[in-house]
Parts: sequence; C-alpha cells; structure tokens
Amino acid sequence: MKKLIFSIAIASILLYCLFPFFWTIQTALKPAGTVFRLPVSYLPETISLENIIDVFSKRPFGRYVLNSLIAGGGATILTLWVAAVLSFRLRALDLRRALRIQRWFLVGAILPPALLVIPVFVVMKQLSLVNNYLALILAYTALNLPFAVWMLHAAFRQIPKELDEAAVMDGFSQSAILYRIILPLSRPSLAVTAVLVFIFCWNEFILALSLMPAQSKYTVPVGIALLSGASGYEIPWGEINAAVALTTVPIILVIAAFQRWIIEGLTTGAVKG
Amino acid sequence: MIGPEDVGGAWAEVIHRFHAAHRGIRIDYISGPWSTDERQNMYIRAFLAGDAFELVYMDVIWTAKFASQGWLLPLDRWFSPEVRETLIPQGIEAGFYQGRFYRVPVRSDVGMLYYRKDLLPEPPRTWEEFEIVCNRYGNPPDRYCIVFQGMQYEGLVCNYLEYLWGAGGTPIDKDQNVLLDRDENISVLSFMKEVISQGWAPRSVITFQEQQALEFFEQGKALMMRNWPYAWTILRRSPLEGKVGIVPFIHRTGHEPAGTLGGWGLGIARGARFPEAAAKFIEFTVSPEAQKVLHFRRGAVPALKSLFKDEEILQESPHYTDLYEVLLKSRMRPIHPDYPRISSIMQKHVSAVLVGIESPREAALQMDQSIEGLIKGKRHSWPLRLYFDHDLKMTLKNTLVFTGLSVPFEFLLGLFFALLAHQPFRGRTMLRLSVLVPWALPTAVMAMAWQWMFNNPFGVINDLMVRVGILSKPMDWLSTPEGAMFAAVFADVWKTTPFVAIILLAGLQSIPQQLKESLSIDGGGTRMMFFHLILPLLMPFIRVALIFRIIHAAGIFDLIWVLTKGGPADTTRTLSLYIYDLAFRYDEVGYALFLTGLFLISLILVSLLIVRSTALRYERI
Repeated sequence: MKKLIFSIAIASILLYCLFPFFWTIQTALKPAGTVFRLPVSYLPETISLENIIDVFSKRPFGRYVLNSLIAGGGATILTLWVAAVLSFRLRALDLRRALRIQRWFLVGAILPPALLVIPVFVVMKQLSLVNNYLALILAYTALNLPFAVWMLHAAFRQIPKELDEAAVMDGFSQSAILYRIILPLSRPSLAVTAVLVFIFCWNEFILALSLMPAQSKYTVPVGIALLSGASGYEIPWGEINAAVALTTVPIILVIAAFQRWIIEGLTTGAVKG
Repeated sequence: MIGPEDVGGAWAEVIHRFHAAHRGIRIDYISGPWSTDERQNMYIRAFLAGDAFELVYMDVIWTAKFASQGWLLPLDRWFSPEVRETLIPQGIEAGFYQGRFYRVPVRSDVGMLYYRKDLLPEPPRTWEEFEIVCNRYGNPPDRYCIVFQGMQYEGLVCNYLEYLWGAGGTPIDKDQNVLLDRDENISVLSFMKEVISQGWAPRSVITFQEQQALEFFEQGKALMMRNWPYAWTILRRSPLEGKVGIVPFIHRTGHEPAGTLGGWGLGIARGARFPEAAAKFIEFTVSPEAQKVLHFRRGAVPALKSLFKDEEILQESPHYTDLYEVLLKSRMRPIHPDYPRISSIMQKHVSAVLVGIESPREAALQMDQSIEGLIKGKRHSWPLRLYFDHDLKMTLKNTLVFTGLSVPFEFLLGLFFALLAHQPFRGRTMLRLSVLVPWALPTAVMAMAWQWMFNNPFGVINDLMVRVGILSKPMDWLSTPEGAMFAAVFADVWKTTPFVAIILLAGLQSIPQQLKESLSIDGGGTRMMFFHLILPLLMPFIRVALIFRIIHAAGIFDLIWVLTKGGPADTTRTLSLYIYDLAFRYDEVGYALFLTGLFLISLILVSLLIVRSTALRYERI
C-alpha cells in the first residue's frame, strides 16, 4: 500500500514536470489544420512536420537560432576564459580569502536580470553597442561569471599544488601552467560549466529583448515571444509550438547527457553558499 | 518632410506647383511607413540625432510632445492671427502649446456619426433618443444599432472622449486637474458598457478598429457607425451610396455634442536651416489652391474654412456642409507632453469596462488616480513622486501577491520532490532528469507554451479540468484578473520548483547517514527525525533557496511579459514590467533607474531579514 502511494507520487511528479513539454511537442507535430480542432485531441492521429517546416520557411527562425548561437557561444567562450583566469588567481590564495572574495561575487549572481537591464542598456547605448552581438556577449559574460568562477575554482582546487611546483621546476610560466596543466586536467568541469552557461544564455530573455531591438537580431526566445505580434486575431499556435519544441528539445537532450554532472555542479554551488 | 505613401500623387502635385512658383526652394517628400507610430518614431530619432527634417508633418497629438522637447520652432511670426483666422479654429487651437503656435493644420479630421438615411427617419441626437432608436429599429444579430472602435488602442480613446464630452465631462481641465473620478465619467462608462450589453452594438466591437467597423457597416449590418470623414469617400463607392447621412455624435440631453479632433499639420523643426522657405511652403499648403489639390487627389478634408463653401467642392462633396458643422464642434484630446501615456491608461480601463473586467466605478477611479499620479508626480522630485505614483502602488501590490503565492508553493512542493527523490528506488535517475526539465527550459519560451495551454477554447488545461469535473465550463484564464494571476503563479511554480528541489536535495545528501541511524536507534519516529534532525540541518539550504526564489519572484519579468503582458487591465503587471515600461516605452530612464535602485535595496533588506530569521541559535554569533 505504502509502495503504491509512493509510486503514484513519483508518477504524478513525472507527469507534472513533463506534461507541458509533451504538450508542446504533440501540438507541434499536429498537421497545421488540426491544431485548432475541438474537442482537444491528446495524441495527434497523424504526425506532420508541416509546422516545423513553416517555422523555417515562413519566418526567419533560422536567423534567430544563428543569433542565439553567436551571442550564447561567444559569451560562453569569453566567460570560460575569464573565469579560468580568475579562478586560477583565486586558487593561488589561501582558501578562506578566496571564498570570501567569491562570496562577494555571488551577490551579483543572484540579482534578477530585470534589475540589471536598465543600467546595462544605458551603458551599452553610450557605447553604441545596441543591436551589436558584443552587447549581449559582454552582458551575458558579466552575468554568468560568478557562477563559472564558482564551478572552476572548485575544480581547480582539487588539483594538487605540488603539480605547479613541479611545473615551475620544469620552467613553465604561470600562464603555461594554467593552459597546459590546469585546464586539461579540469576538462569535465569545463564542459559542464560551458553547457550550463550556454543554456543560461540560450534561455535569457530580457537583455536580449532590450539590447537587440532589431528584428534581424532577435534571439530565439525573443523571436518566439514576439511571434504572435504579426496579427492580434490569428495567433499561429501550430508554428509557435513548433518553434518552442525546436528550442527546447536540444536542451533536454543536453541535459539528459550531462544530467549527473549538472546536478553535482549545481549542488556544489549550493553547498558552499 | 515625411508622410505616408503619397497615394494619388496629391503631395507631389502640391510640391510641383510650389516649385513652379518659388524657384530656388526645393521640398522633398519622403514616403514613410503607413503606421503613424512608426512615422512618429522616425521624427523622434531624427530630432534626437540632431539632423532633423526641416518640415515636420504631424498628427494633432504629437504637437505637445514635440513642442515641449523644444524640437519645434514657434510659428507666430509667420502666421499672424489674421492668417490663422482663415483656418478651422479647432485645428489652430490644437497647434498651440503653452501659449505659442507650433503647428499649422493642413488636413482636418473629426469623429462623427454615420447613419442610414433609408432606415432611420431621423438620426438620434441624444443618448435617450439613441436608446429609443436602437430598441425600435435594431434587430440583432442581423442588424445591430451601432458599430464603433472598441479595441484597446488610440481609437478607443477617441470614441470614449466623445461620450465623455457629450456628457459634459472632460478628462483634464486647463489647470491640469484630472476630473475622471466624477460621476459623469462613471455614467459614461456605464453607458458604453450598456451599448454592448444591451445588444445595440455587436460584442465583437471590442476587437474593431476603423476598418472593421466600416466593413460591418458597409455590409448593412448596422444602422449607425462612429467613424472619421474618410469613410464617406469609401461609402460613396459602395451599395450604400446615397443612403448615408452624417451628424455630430450623440450627447446627453442638456449638453453639447462633440467629435474628437484629428488631422495632420505642418511645423518647422528647430534646427531647420531654411525656416523662411519652410514657412513659405506651409503657407502655400493652406492656400485654396493646394487645399483643393489635397482634397481632390487625396480626399483630404480641408483645414481652410472657405473651401467648405466652395462651389466646386460642394458639387463633388455635398456632405461638406454637414461636415463643417461637425468640425466646428470638434474637441481636442488632452494637450500634454505625456499624452501617449495618459491615453494608454484610458485605453486600458475603458477596455476593461467593455470587456467586463472592471466595473465603471472601479475603472473611473483607477483612471483618475493613474493619470493624476502621472501628472502630479512629474512636477515633483523623484522621492516625492513615489507618493503620487499610482501605477507603482498597483504593480507593487501585484508583485507582492505574485511572490506571496508562488514562493510558498514552490518551497513546499520542492521540499516534497526533494524528499521523494532522496529515497532510493528504481528509476530515481529518471525522476531527477525529469525534474531538471522545467528548470532548464527557457522561461520566455515556455511562457508561450503555457499561453497555449491556458488558451480558451483550444487549451488543454480547460479541457482537462472540465473532463475531471473541477470546472463546469471552460474558463477564460488569461482575460480575467484571477485567472491570469493563477496562470502566472502556476507556470512559475512549475518552472522553479525543480530549482528548490535540486538545492534541497543537495542538502539532504549532505546529512550523514550515521546521524539518522543513531537517531532511529534512539527510538525517534519519522516525524521526530524530520523536525529535529533533517529540517535543522537543511536550514542553510532552505535559506539559499528562499532568498533566491523571493528575489527572483519579486523581479519576475519574462514569464509575465510573455504570458499576460501584465494584463488584463494591469492586474498581473509587476514592478519589473512597470520599470521596464518606464525606461523603454515612456522615455523616463532616470526615474526607472531610481526605482531600480530602491527595488534593489529593498531586496537586499528582505534577504538580510530572511538570513536573520532562519538563523538557528547556534549559528548566531
């Protein structure tokens, strides 16, 4: 009996978490003509790629994806690089001091982007970077840096300092130690950090909305959110769901692949906080 | 100058004739986009960039904003009172801002009532007559009594003001006092609501702009229509030719009828290099010659009084005699640099009444307070402005409600998830993976998915709830205040519970197994274990989760912006949305930054409070 209740509880959590995702995909795969059919059908009778093709052919969805890849990819690379350098410096300090510095960093990390958007926008406008990928790349880097430092610092700490000493004996410079010893040894952490930072950038909305107001510069979330704007009367729900599915499926696959490390990565952050 | 596409080549002809008469002056007409807003933005960008167009072709409602920014040159020295005397007085009056003259009217426009001469013996003049006519001749759904523009946009304000003026009311008086909490406003809103609820107008008018109203009327499905003069030209070429008359809009017995003044006029940019030449051109555009070209080629209603008695014109447009009467009764929308914002407040609440979200009394009070807060607040320094800022208070309340509802749910549900996921069982990996899904998906994108699921009638949530029996009939989630707030909270709980669960799971895993074992050896039950061992040890994690969630729920933007846009009638508009609007729509970056700063400080204070109140005794130093 107890086991049954337990199973039901687990099943309802699964259903609760996955249902919206399932619903998006099933709507996306319905033939365009049957999206608005009543009564609501729970499984499409025929599967069609019509909506998905429409998203690419009728709308500049490919362009949005490209924009997201440029902004997210650029920000991920820059974040990792800066975070690696900073973490390397932190590693040289004694642990107590390093953690104290890091804590200040984290204060910045918990601010919601909605609070940062106006100051950031004002600065970017001064630099005339509005509608420039650089604006998003810089903003995302600043936003994700604390988290990346958190992750990388924890990883770098696990590498024994004796290794450095040996390297110095072999005539390695400090930067050579970072690039040729520390980074290769921390590859798994770098990968997880990169994945998470990229997902954060891929998902970000308000900065992308304000810093890239030109339609040709929309990122995927902005493009999807404004997809309905064309006409107030007929919202193309089939295409919207297709776009949502296309945006979310890759994330789910990546999450599935990195699941264990992601939970670990997220929780180490929390443990120390 | 920029104008819309020069259909009929009217402006080309005017400019051609002007060039012929004034060698050495060249006027360029730039075809801008059709959208009035877009063209306004083009001008604003040009003004801000400092390379302005010499001539500014503007809508009546732009004048105050442009003039208050110092972008326009006063025209008093070129257009003496005698010259102004020849033009429609309302158009002239609309060209003034704080005592100086900035804009010469070129095209007139006014809201009025079209009626079917063949079906109505006499057009109604007053609300009472209107009611009688509607009840006697209206026959919905085949033939409604009236159609107008009921969508939430500028046109709705034009309609609403005609009722308000016709009842002796006015939104803002000369001394900038807001008069919308008066009884006449409440009665006007009630009457407008009645027009729909009595079936005099079709329910669908709440989605109508000018075009839809005209089509409806053209198909003979309505006896009357409120619209602008342009409709006449189109009706003349329709089956209704000769069957339509025009009169001023209906009013209340004992008051004067009124039509909203629209129209286009010309001004000169302050940075103009050749103001003299520009003034000459403007002078020419209001000459009988140019006004006739604009009329015959473009169907533009003249601004020059004499043309309404012109033989040639009257032969072609006999209705101009009536139109002239209507024009002389036209009135100006509030002249204020912040008119766009004032208008959007009115739009929101009038629409809320028509849709049935707000009662007329609520809407009138909200409108009054919002607009008054805006106008009064502007006169004060930022800290004082907080006190007047009605929108701030509203959005603050919504933010508190949203945070207060979503965070406890997220926390309890997250704790429950974490406790379950911590148990060893087959498929635990699967559970953890699926819990990660909502967390990892983009909020803004999933907000679209939620919008679809909450859709009525095609959404799955209604369908499920009706099937299970929770709801007896489908509910209009996103267009009722409670429904929209529920949807927002529900979607937020779905999205962020996993985050809480992940953090608490980490906490659970950090509790040493030995501790639990020793407690159960000592005879502690499950409950004892939970409250005296797990919960205290979990406290640091709970604190992190709570601080994080409260800060983020209070700063919520993307979910709500996409899901409800803060609607209906601002009932889900949160602080972040308001601050965002201030900066990006209302052009008030300074005040927005000020509010951001205050917001930040209060979030820090709340966090400190949480740290203090959740700190266990032994943690306190």
